[in-house]
Formats: sequence, structure tokens, C-alpha cells
Amino acid sequence: MVRRLSEMPEVEAHHLRRIECPTFDDTPALPGKPLSQRRVALISTAGLHRRGDRPFRPGDGSYRVIPAETPARDLVMSHISVNFDRTGFQQDHNVAFPIDRLRELVEEGVVGSMASMHYSFMGAFPPDAAEPHAQHLAGLLKQDAVDAALLVPV
Amino acid sequence: MGALGHFLERQGIPTASISLVREHTETIRPPRALWVTFELGRPLGIPDDPDFQRRVLRATAELLERTDGPLIADYPEHVGEEADFTGWACPINLAPQATDTLAAEIDRLATWHDQSVARTGRTTVGVSGLDMPAAGALLAAALAGDLPSAQTLKEAVDDLRAYYLEAASAFPDPGTSKKRKAWLWDETLFGKALLDLQPRLAASEDPQLRILGNLTLIPATERHRLAKA
Repeated sequence: MVRRLSEMPEVEAHHLRRIECPTFDDTPALPGKPLSQRRVALISTAGLHRRGDRPFRPGDGSYRVIPAETPARDLVMSHISVNFDRTGFQQDHNVAFPIDRLRELVEEGVVGSMASMHYSFMGAFPPDAAEPHAQHLAGLLKQDAVDAALLVPV
Repeated sequence: MGALGHFLERQGIPTASISLVREHTETIRPPRALWVTFELGRPLGIPDDPDFQRRVLRATAELLERTDGPLIADYPEHVGEEADFTGWACPINLAPQATDTLAAEIDRLATWHDQSVARTGRTTVGVSGLDMPAAGALLAAALAGDLPSAQTLKEAVDDLRAYYLEAASAFPDPGTSKKRKAWLWDETLFGKALLDLQPRLAASEDPQLRILGNLTLIPATERHRLAKA
């Protein structure tokens, strides 16, 4: 179990403390429909993409498209960082990209529906590099009638 | 991760994030976050445990209905250390030997990797577009002084890393993922090759190769091995 940085092995905590986090003015949390009526997209920052799609590169703030019906066997990960576990993803993609779990929540009626397209960034991006891509993506999400995004780190 | 919450929510898309590092999330203050205490790389907690994963995803999604952000909710379930019922010692002898080669080691693992693919129906190898003998040859050439571009080398190395760990997961007594990662560094020629390559990359005149050598080749948790190598 990983708790606060102060409780982690120092070598891991040191690495995480060195990551510079951007700061923002608070963004108001938007109101919306009940969850059971929302159309939800998954957005990962695990550097995921379909095999054959462009791998991520250092400083890359762009995203890759993962259609909802993408078979698990087509998913690969090209995150540049080596400081997180990949064996979980190798065993079960849902532990990092819970697309089957989202589908089940829709079947259970907890979530209204799922988007036709899902997305992955590569989390080591400098915020300035990702912002224009994220703004563009927001427009595409609206076109897909998406009214909520679940953001899944790695 | 949290930065995307700001960017998307400001454009009208409500967001809820999973947070793996609470201190980072406390600084970035995205609109809604669920802090989990799971290992980095496993934001949904436990592989092959759909019920557990679904509870985590549901708890994240339920935050969407809250408008009192920025908020961080603490997820109440935790994951213990992976249970280890094995007396795991590498079941096939991959210990570096003077006469062995990286190419032979890669070849020897092919049947185990095939087993892994047969069992899971998938592989995460395939970022570089190289087959594993070719990826190994590229790494061997880099060790001999013929350095490719940093991106090409990184993709080949990451594919090899996935290949080794997936192959080891199919051993008769695969042990825990922690043990398999230790095996990669302790007992394989591939791990040794990465440790041998690191100082050459770090000393390169190419800034991209230096970044690879200093940051994205050897995990922070394994860098203590460099002094020994």
C-alpha cells in the first residue's frame, strides 16, 4: 500500500517530489445531469495507443484515439517513464484503462452511456504542450455528445 | 493528470480524476479527484479483479455529481503487498554465463512468451515495430558503440522489457511481479546490458541519448545497481 510520500521508500518518494507540479487558479466544478444520464469518456495519461499508432516521445503533449471497440490485444503503452509498474497492465489492461469496467457500469445503469472514442495522453507532458490538444479534444468530446470525462493516471 | 481536469472542465467538460500521488493533486487542485493508495501503474488497484476495479471506477464517476470542488476524496479500500506463496527461484537458468549471449537469452524466452500470449490472448510488445531478435541486435549494437537514435533505442528497450516480463509471467512458478522485476535486473543479460549501456548514454553528446541514459532507461528504484555494474 502506498500512502503519503513521507511513508514511501525514500528512493521512490525522492523521484516523485522532484516532479514539478503546475498550479492553476481553481476551476469551478461544473454541474451536470445525474450520472445515470451522462455519456462518459475515459482519458488515460498512461501513454496508451493502438499498436502501429505513433509512439509517444519526450515532451509530447498530444493524445491518441482509442475507439471503444479496440480489442485489448491491440493496446500498447509507450509512456517514456520507467518509474511505474507495467506488469499490471501486461496482465490486465483494465487495471490502467478500465474500458470493460466502464462498459459494465453502463450495463448496470450506473452510467448513462459510454463515448464512441476514448483517449490517451502521456502523462509526463509539460502542461503548456498539452493545453492546446486538450482544448481541441474538448470540442471533439462535445461532438460525441460526451458530458463527462474520467481521467485515469498511471 | 490533474492539469487535464482544469483544461477540459474550463472548456465545458466535467471531469473526475483518479489520483495516485496525493501531494501532487493537492498542488494541482483539479476539480474532482479520488485519491487511491495503489501502486503507480495500477490506478484501478488489482489486475484481473473486475469487482474491485468497478468499485474504484464507480467511486470516481460518482464524484461527477459533486460541484463543491476542488475536492479530493480518499478511497477507502487499499491493496496489500502481492501475496507470495512461492519459493521462487528462476525456474530456467538465465543467469549470465560467459558463453551466453543476449540473442540466445531472447531466443530462449520465446517459448515462454508464446505461453503468455496463449494464456492472456494479448501482448503489450509492439511499440518499436521490431521483432525481438532485431530489438536485441539493436541493443547489442548500441553496446558495441553503434548508437541509434534515442527514440529508436527507447522503443526497442521498452519492447524487450515487456517481452521479458510477459515471458516470465508464464514460467511454471511465476512468483510475484516484484520478484519477476528483480529477476530481470539480477539474473538476465538484458538487465546487465541496460546497466552497461547507461554510462555510455549519459556521456553521449546527443542530448536525447543523455535524457534516456539519465532518466528513462533505469527505474529510480534500480539505479543503485549502477554503482555495482
